[in-house]
Amino acid sequence: MAARFASRLSHVGRSVFGGLGNISSGSLRTSLDSTWNNFLSQQQQRTFIQMRTVLKVVDNSGAKKVMCIQALKGKKGARLGDTIVASVKEAHPNGKVKKGEVVYGVVVRAAMQRGRCDGSEVKFDDNAVVLLDKQGQPRGTRVFGPVPHELRKKKHLKILTLAEHIA
Amino acid sequence: MASKVLPQALFITPRSSNQWPPKKLGLSTFPSPRSSSLNLNRLSTSRFSSNSFAFHFRPIVVSPKRFFIVRAEADNEGELGADENTEEEETVSETESEVKLDAEDEAKPPRKPRVKLGDIMGILNKRAIEASEKERPVPDLRTGDIVEIKLEVPENRRRLSIYKGIVISKQNAGIHTTIRVRRIIAGVGVEIVFPVYSPNIKEIKVVNHRKVRRARLYYLRDKLPRLSTFK
Repeated sequence: MAARFASRLSHVGRSVFGGLGNISSGSLRTSLDSTWNNFLSQQQQRTFIQMRTVLKVVDNSGAKKVMCIQALKGKKGARLGDTIVASVKEAHPNGKVKKGEVVYGVVVRAAMQRGRCDGSEVKFDDNAVVLLDKQGQPRGTRVFGPVPHELRKKKHLKILTLAEHIA
Repeated sequence: MASKVLPQALFITPRSSNQWPPKKLGLSTFPSPRSSSLNLNRLSTSRFSSNSFAFHFRPIVVSPKRFFIVRAEADNEGELGADENTEEEETVSETESEVKLDAEDEAKPPRKPRVKLGDIMGILNKRAIEASEKERPVPDLRTGDIVEIKLEVPENRRRLSIYKGIVISKQNAGIHTTIRVRRIIAGVGVEIVFPVYSPNIKEIKVVNHRKVRRARLYYLRDKLPRLSTFK
């Protein structure tokens, strides 16, 4: 998809250049530069999980989607392994958690890369959260998908034992 | 030559009674011919011999002889040289430059190649890579290789974690050369960046290779998960 967009951009650039040969190359170059910058920043710059971020719920507590209303740690937002306060936006009809409830959760998958102490970085394809209670224990009994090592340091050992795969 | 040197002697000897450190600066700011001032600078920045020279003017009458003897033995040390001996006055002279050249000529054949400032990082990186290669050889990795990496995680010290996947990019940065490996794990795409020369990585093995026509395979993120799945 990105490649097709890029080829379309280059086609446009070439035709424009051919048609407007009279215009000084300076102005044309700036417009081409801006398009090039757009092209280069096509790679999405993933960022923190902040207010209004919708996350997927990956346990069997009953909720399907939650929206973050507060990142408990961090000025800019929550990262992998941080806890958040969220509001349930979508839920299974008969589950422990109902729509509109305010819940706590821990981010188990984040699209923003998280650096590890040995210089490696890990990033997932989506944002996912596991709901917790006030004490930090998971509310569900199963966790789906991979979870990162970082949870061990944050003392979410129960989630690690329930997980399918530890990334 | 002697006449040119005399005013320098006149300047130096009164000041020799003062403190030594400021005098060194005074030496370099002499209103003397430029070559000799250059010599003075070289003198003030050269080794221990210059210190001893600057500090003791009285015994300098003795030291030229010492310098002369030293010059016979060691080329570099004797750069302040034999010509001191010929000087009546206890000062620096332009002949010092000639003496230095002589000393350098004698020292030139065994001289080591000088390390330039711009090469230092390259040399350090190469050394670090060599040290890491000795512990564990790293195979030649290219984008599109399907690799299996055995990693020792400090938290999970019981057994090694195994990561399999396709290399979607390789960033060359000396010792911090990294590869980005992508795989679909349990239905979710995971990309991990591994520093290739890290001591935590116990083994890298190239299992397969997929023909790709790109250096960075970021398009795989938008494609079907089937293309990033590896058993």
